[in-house]
Amino acid sequence: MITNILLAVLGVIAGIIFGAIPGMTATMAVAVFLPMTYAYDLVPALYLLLGLYIGGISGGLVPAILINIPGTPSSITTTFDGYPMAKRGEGERALKIGILSSFIGGIISLIALALFTPLLSAAALKFSAVEKFLIILFALTVIAALSNGQMLRGVFAGFFGVLVSLIGMFSVNNSYRMVPSALKAYLSDGFQLLPVLIGLFAISQIFEEAEEGMRFKIEKVDGNNEGTKFSLSDLKGQGVNLVRSSIIGTFMGVLPGVGGSAASILAYSQAKSWSKHPELLGQGVPEGLVASESSNNGLTGGAMIPLLSLGIPGDSTTAILISAFMLQGIQVGPLFITQNTETWHQILLAMLLCNIIMFLCMFYPIKWISKIIYIPRQRLYPVIIMICVVGAYAAKNGRMFDVWSLLIAGIVGYLFGKIRIPKTCFLIGFILGKDLENYFIQAVSASKGSLLVFFSRPIGWVIWVLIIASIVYAVMDDRKQKARKKVEAAA
Amino acid sequence: MINVVYSTEHWIVPRIVICILCILLAAIIITEGRARVAKGEAFFSMPKKFFKDNPDFIKLFGTLVLFVGYIVTLDIIGFTLTSIIFVFLFNILYAGTSPKSIGISLLIAVVASLIVSIAFGVFFKITLPNGMFTITFVNQGFTIY
Repeated sequence: MITNILLAVLGVIAGIIFGAIPGMTATMAVAVFLPMTYAYDLVPALYLLLGLYIGGISGGLVPAILINIPGTPSSITTTFDGYPMAKRGEGERALKIGILSSFIGGIISLIALALFTPLLSAAALKFSAVEKFLIILFALTVIAALSNGQMLRGVFAGFFGVLVSLIGMFSVNNSYRMVPSALKAYLSDGFQLLPVLIGLFAISQIFEEAEEGMRFKIEKVDGNNEGTKFSLSDLKGQGVNLVRSSIIGTFMGVLPGVGGSAASILAYSQAKSWSKHPELLGQGVPEGLVASESSNNGLTGGAMIPLLSLGIPGDSTTAILISAFMLQGIQVGPLFITQNTETWHQILLAMLLCNIIMFLCMFYPIKWISKIIYIPRQRLYPVIIMICVVGAYAAKNGRMFDVWSLLIAGIVGYLFGKIRIPKTCFLIGFILGKDLENYFIQAVSASKGSLLVFFSRPIGWVIWVLIIASIVYAVMDDRKQKARKKVEAAA
Repeated sequence: MINVVYSTEHWIVPRIVICILCILLAAIIITEGRARVAKGEAFFSMPKKFFKDNPDFIKLFGTLVLFVGYIVTLDIIGFTLTSIIFVFLFNILYAGTSPKSIGISLLIAVVASLIVSIAFGVFFKITLPNGMFTITFVNQGFTIY
């Protein structure tokens, strides 16, 4: 237990550092540390990884408030009210409000995780291959619905991920497809998840910043603190806002492929439309901070719900947790909780503990923590490259092929950024692709080739309704976003 | 109806996915082309600009070259020494060549590489790339890769 707690502390602190350095994300933190867990059992590994996840999401608020640069994409809306407060000399107050909101958001989402995962698992147990196939299809259409005016590109990226995941040998008839004969020895089970993932999310980021010349100018914030000090009464009257934003975050976390930025933007706009004085939001009021930070930490519990009950990751960071489970030979999905009750309880305990550690590590020593934003990234990236190489190399007991995959994935991720193809959508498709194929073949074989099998079961109909609803929503939202862009362009 | 035949079933889903991708690609080209026409531009247009403003090609392509060099030499020299060399070179590439910076780069390269090598290779017993400078301490039961 002591080891677990120490790993959680290590994870949280490292996560906060990654989160607080602009450009480095929670996903990167988890990816970089994953190789360390090869040596541990599942439970200690989870303490470390969940610590990194929670710390990474929380750390983003520090630079968002102090220098107006979100440390992670999910703290974009934290800058709206946090930075004006810091400029007024209320930086410490803003940080503390943000940290406390993060903590409450994390706890509320944890309660949702504990309540809903068993229910969803129980429902999913009744699923046959048909429903499992449809659920994955639903995951791919949800991606589209939430790609913010990039619907077609989002769906394209998702299916492209599916195609790439199919490279290799099909397990049913042991036949290769889409593999050059020279690479058959390496690609029997396709590209490994870990190199692809670290490449897409860590290496591509380094390429992008190299292109910008690694010129980081971070102006020192003057340490004046004569503004209002933090007191618990800052959160008075914010109860509804806190709960609403946390629930929005949790719900957005459940939907696959939706990042924290979407969650916090939605929560912020809701806080604004429900506010008694909406004109003050954006000028530095606690309300906006509370909405932003409680929703992005609400994401953490939410994203674990589909992961543990359906085997579908809610965001890119939980996608890495899937590979942590795979490494230990544990299948996440509807049977997970009943077959691994002990692990399930440990996950809940670990998330509770990590939230508490996050709070303690950030709230009191915030003056020290806030110095992290000055760590020069150009000194960290070389070391991160080295650790990524170790992680990729060890992904399948030491193959240089996987290190080449890492580099290729990094280049592909960099090019995706150039041609505006959403990486997370690609990743979700890549992770779910093989299951999608297996369930499709199973369902169609069982029905002797009739595609009508997909319309033959009542639970299937429900999922079809969800699929159609998400597509309709996607098309409408896509039009709305494009219209808005047009108006903005005209203005 | 889809005819599932054992010998060819590994191609069913890839073919469907490729078809979907072609349809989506066509849809993307058409909708974006029409949007350009609506704005009074040509249906096809060159992408505006591939690189960002004021791109640093030395750092960008330097990263690529060093990365390839790192991967190629890992298997020849062994993890620890290769990492010291390349973490140092990456540091020089990103942080410049002032005498003070070179000193810091060297320090980071040596310390970080040794820590990673010992932590992962010795304590966690993870296989690292080995080469001519890999030393195995048979009696003590560990390897410095």
